[in-house]
Amino acid sequence: MHGFDLLAVLSNPDFAGMLWSGALVTLVVAAGSWCLAMGLALVLLSLRLAPGRIGDRVVAAYVSYHRNVPTLVQLMLWYFGIASLLPDPVQTWLNDHGAEAVYGVVGLGLCQAAYFSEDLRSGLRAVATGQMEAARALGHGFVGALRHVLMPQAIRNALPALVNHSVSLFKNSSLAMAIGVSELTHAVKEVENLSFRTFETYLIATIAYLAVSLVIMGIGAALQWRGQVMGAR
Amino acid sequence: MIGDILTILRDNWLLLLIGQYPNGPLGGFAATLILSALSIALAFPLSVLIALARLSRNPLLLWPSSALVYLARGVPLLMLILWVYFMVPLLLGANVPGFVTMLVTLVMYEGAFLSEVVRGGIVALGRGQMEAARALGHSYPQALLYVVLPQALYNVIPSLISQFVSTIKETTLGYVINVPELTFAANQINNQILTQPFQVFFLLAVIYYAVCWTLTALAVRLERRIARRRAGPASAPAPLPVRQLTAEP
Amino acid sequence: MTEIATTDAAMIRFASVTKYYGAYKALDDVTAEVGRGEVVVVCGPSGSGKSTLIRTVNRLEEIASGTLTFDGERVHGPLKAATLNRLRSRIGFVFQSFNLFPHLSALENVTLSPVKVNGTTREVARDRAMALLDRVGLSAKAGAYPAQLSGGQQQRVAIARALAMEPPAMLFDEPTSALDPEMVGEVLAVMRGLAAEGMTMMCVTHEMGFAREVADRVWFMDAGRILETATPDAFFSDPQHPRAKKFLFDLRH
Repeated sequence: MHGFDLLAVLSNPDFAGMLWSGALVTLVVAAGSWCLAMGLALVLLSLRLAPGRIGDRVVAAYVSYHRNVPTLVQLMLWYFGIASLLPDPVQTWLNDHGAEAVYGVVGLGLCQAAYFSEDLRSGLRAVATGQMEAARALGHGFVGALRHVLMPQAIRNALPALVNHSVSLFKNSSLAMAIGVSELTHAVKEVENLSFRTFETYLIATIAYLAVSLVIMGIGAALQWRGQVMGAR
Repeated sequence: MIGDILTILRDNWLLLLIGQYPNGPLGGFAATLILSALSIALAFPLSVLIALARLSRNPLLLWPSSALVYLARGVPLLMLILWVYFMVPLLLGANVPGFVTMLVTLVMYEGAFLSEVVRGGIVALGRGQMEAARALGHSYPQALLYVVLPQALYNVIPSLISQFVSTIKETTLGYVINVPELTFAANQINNQILTQPFQVFFLLAVIYYAVCWTLTALAVRLERRIARRRAGPASAPAPLPVRQLTAEP
Repeated sequence: MTEIATTDAAMIRFASVTKYYGAYKALDDVTAEVGRGEVVVVCGPSGSGKSTLIRTVNRLEEIASGTLTFDGERVHGPLKAATLNRLRSRIGFVFQSFNLFPHLSALENVTLSPVKVNGTTREVARDRAMALLDRVGLSAKAGAYPAQLSGGQQQRVAIARALAMEPPAMLFDEPTSALDPEMVGEVLAVMRGLAAEGMTMMCVTHEMGFAREVADRVWFMDAGRILETATPDAFFSDPQHPRAKKFLFDLRH
């Protein structure tokens, strides 16, 4: 065995390069699925708010599925299962264009959208009842009232949960490794195999993950602090 | 399509249920359930200790416990599994089965997440109960043991079930280090059949859904019952709302 | 718009307005009008339908039958969403519970709707808002958030917010009922000022001193009906309806 030597990994251009590109893929997958999840969450929320029961039921089923089935199984279902149902030309095209990453982003994004939409919904429910009336009385339409008056407050209420779930999403990006996405954890396994420096490699990756998670939590705390300066209701 | 799924279920139900046992290690759904239950059972007492350490003013307790919690909150479970997979044999000087690796990881991980729930339960209780117990002459450990924890932990029960659901979902990661559990069994079946991946993984999703949905419904019912029971005395705090702290797998 | 408006002498006109909550008759055949520049105070025991009545004017409550017009425009019946929004933007409404937007500063509360609903430019809206905040005595608090303001200050910002839409009439739904007694005066002072400038006002309030001093007419309601309309002098010195007599008697004792 070797002595502990971080530089043996970091100063080796091959290893450092693999870890760096893995980290970039992790960030891209996490950021891509976050955007997908947030956009979809807003759509799901609108469906819930729309009149009629059908939209509400459909969204409830969507949320229930994505919260009760393990994320890894959802990813497998996408990558192994749903992919196999697509017509051949589409499959070929996807395989030529990084199918793993696409399924990773789609799987993670769709899953997290369920959590985000529920966060926003409880945030919206916590907004005082008079707010909609007050906005309507001033002449705002339903959508305008939501956009300018209710949603800003709902997002503020939902902020702690949204931040927690954003961190979860970032951590869950490591699951994409199981469907062959060459993200950071995947790169860690490769570097470990080639360098035999398991401890050092794991340490670097762990610190990298922790740092990004703490940054997300820090941004959340800063946003919340700004909200508190405004004062609670 | 549904016919295919039923055929898969009929041909492989035993593998899905108990893996290759008794010809191999216990696997399948049974392993998933045992692993999850053991993890939560061991994580719960650990979480109480971590929570108390996090509430202590002693830096020797506060700092390591906080570090553990932030590590669990900030580092992917998969990464932690790899650490345990690597470190435990080094520390013990012997290889351990994947089941044990998974168990150790989940106990630490869930212990850290549960400790936040327990800590929340204790904080929600307010200072009054502790002060009252101390005023009556109880020592700090006595006050904790007889007054604070019984109330706080009672309120935590529903969260315990939802955390159990999270753990069931987290055991799927055992697949990556070849722990024979439900997801592993499904992958074995998929490798045998080869031509029906959608059917196999859809069936897998349905099984997880049925189990987790049932347990979540149970947690919600329990929460309501506790809320009702607590509704009597006005001073008692409401139980913590059921929510999963981990959106992890 | 203005062509129709000038043909109607009344700013708000209720004709046989009825409203139910389930089987409960909240408004029972109400016919009345608020003239231009008139200040009407609506009073009556709780549950008499005063708040329901005032809330029907900008259609926070739907009426079941009858007709209701504001400034000559129909409020009841099928209306396009855009029409309703424009109508509402022209009716100043002040709530009992203020309902300021907690995520916006006092100034932003006053500028939001002129900018987003009327399309006023930010600069114009801002200047106007500052003038309005000054008028309600709160220009120093423009940057404060609602949580940092007292109840009386919040309600004054709410009045400024409503005035920012330049409404031809203002409705007040128990504007001082949620306030600590020492803050009632500052809100009533703002309302008095508005009345003195000739603003058309419809106020649901328990402040009988205000009614006596400022109102042109008092409407007395009970059980969803307007039982008496009179000048404040007449109403307070010589109420006609037995229930009005009892109401005033109860107030004094």
